[in-house]
Amino acid sequence: MFRGAALGYAVILFIGVQDDYRHPWAAWAVLAGLAGWSALLTLWPRWHRREPAMMVADLAVAVAAVLSTRLLDQPERIHQGASTLPSIWPAATVLGWAIWKGRRGGLVAAVVVTGADLLELGRLRPRSAGNTVNNIVLLVLVGLIVGYATEVVRAGQAQMAVAVAERAATAERERLARDIHDSVLQVLGFVHREGTGQGGAASDLARLAGEQEVRLRTLISTGPIASPGLGEGDLSAALSRYAGERVGVSGPAQPVLVALDVMKAAAGAVAAALDNVHRHAGPGARAWVLLEDEPDQVTVTVRDDGRGFPAERLAQAQAEGRLGVSSSIRGRIEELGGTVEITGTPGEGTEVELRVPRVPAPPRPAARLGKRWR
Amino acid sequence: MPVPAELVGSGEGDDPAGAIRVMVVDDHPMWVRVVCADLTEAGLCVVATAADGAQALRRLAAARPAVVVLDLHLPVLDGVEVTREVIAAGLGARVLVLSSSGEQQDVLEAVKAGASGYLVKSASGPELIDAVRRTAAGEAVFTAGLAGLVLGEYRRMAGAPAAPGELLGPKLTDRETEILRLVAKGRSSRQIAQRLQLSHRTVQNHVQNTLTKLQLHNRVELTRYAIEQGLDAE
Repeated sequence: MFRGAALGYAVILFIGVQDDYRHPWAAWAVLAGLAGWSALLTLWPRWHRREPAMMVADLAVAVAAVLSTRLLDQPERIHQGASTLPSIWPAATVLGWAIWKGRRGGLVAAVVVTGADLLELGRLRPRSAGNTVNNIVLLVLVGLIVGYATEVVRAGQAQMAVAVAERAATAERERLARDIHDSVLQVLGFVHREGTGQGGAASDLARLAGEQEVRLRTLISTGPIASPGLGEGDLSAALSRYAGERVGVSGPAQPVLVALDVMKAAAGAVAAALDNVHRHAGPGARAWVLLEDEPDQVTVTVRDDGRGFPAERLAQAQAEGRLGVSSSIRGRIEELGGTVEITGTPGEGTEVELRVPRVPAPPRPAARLGKRWR
Repeated sequence: MPVPAELVGSGEGDDPAGAIRVMVVDDHPMWVRVVCADLTEAGLCVVATAADGAQALRRLAAARPAVVVLDLHLPVLDGVEVTREVIAAGLGARVLVLSSSGEQQDVLEAVKAGASGYLVKSASGPELIDAVRRTAAGEAVFTAGLAGLVLGEYRRMAGAPAAPGELLGPKLTDRETEILRLVAKGRSSRQIAQRLQLSHRTVQNHVQNTLTKLQLHNRVELTRYAIEQGLDAE
């Protein structure tokens, strides 16, 4: 489009001055060649794919057309700053490059065409300088601006594509969740309910079905989708993975966003505490995990209704330096500036309470920590 | 296994004397069958079932249940809306939500709309029967999961700065917070009563209060919203 108009402009300019040219017929041939080239580019579908070879060829044609002026026109006219034979046509090449490779492409093409212009001129003379410099500045600006605009539009398109893909993924997830809810989960729930209390293998099957039901539900849960920032995670979702037949997890309905380190440490500590429950609290012990979302910290409590332990035993074990689980929990949490409190009563189970700042703080001096806990 | 018809007893006298009248609302026939069988076996009277929210509301007046055992994930009209309508109908029916985990926001909305309690679907048969009995008796079925949700909701209201013209959310007393936290960690109200040297009844009153305050606040907010919309429309 632009090429056609630019060429028309060049032809009109040329008709006005053709008698001044040294070789008017050769100049006509050059313009005809440009017309052919323009038509070729417009009609040839490969152009649309912006093949490198085509782009380089286009730039070469523009340069050649500009340089041909030097051979075909009168040197006096050139020195007076008369316009080149293709006039504004090379700007189309610059635009093409800007669209192809963004700002950088626009700049490269503009510089090359400018170089050809200067070469055609031979050397700058005061009479022609102003005009030429203006043209050069304009050409470079066009290359940069169009290149920049292209980049912005491309980035926008890419973001749009990502957003559309995300929306499609969410919709698909919801569809799957509905499907699973309406089919597999019902069957698992049924097996769980019917098999419980039948004894033997049926009970085991029921228990397994129940566990898988809870897992699957958690997996497809369609709660509000958290939009954690970079380096943040939803602790609520992380903890809900531990829910099961013997473990209840409760907390606020909204996602609880904390720093990623805090999420990992708290989830790891809860896993360690639950593991301890399974090992030591006795058969049939149940556990509850409670997540509380406070203004600048989160509190996570793991409680079981198992055997518990006398208070002295904890102190004694700690003094002897053997307290595997407890120290692994403390290690994780204190590193982030949090505190851990473990209480146990024989026959009433054990309670582990973790308090962690949302954003990790440097650990406080050990002496002060000790005072805070006891 | 006795399988109840869609509408078992539509009139008085069908239920054995004093049996608790229950309506089961769930869109999964298999699930409904199991729950009904469990309830019937325990001597409760399943007076109606419904497979979607609108159907539940249509059958409510005829069936006159004391307790509606309600799934939240329903076609046509969701569980939260059904809860609101059942309470608004003023027939004295209480709502016990039987939900899947991972629907926490919906559970909270249902409770704010007036549900008396909530139980996860994976709860055992005896747990369900106990919960239905307690709901019929007017007690809140306060599982650990519900206590965690309610605690979280009060904290959210305390943390969110009220918009201009918006009512300040209700607050928990220290005692209520203490009790809710104990419930959320899996303790029974009997254990809590023992620990805090309170009567069982007092503990339950505290727990019930936390729910009532939420429900009241919710109703006031809804009314305010309705009035604003109404005024704007004129």
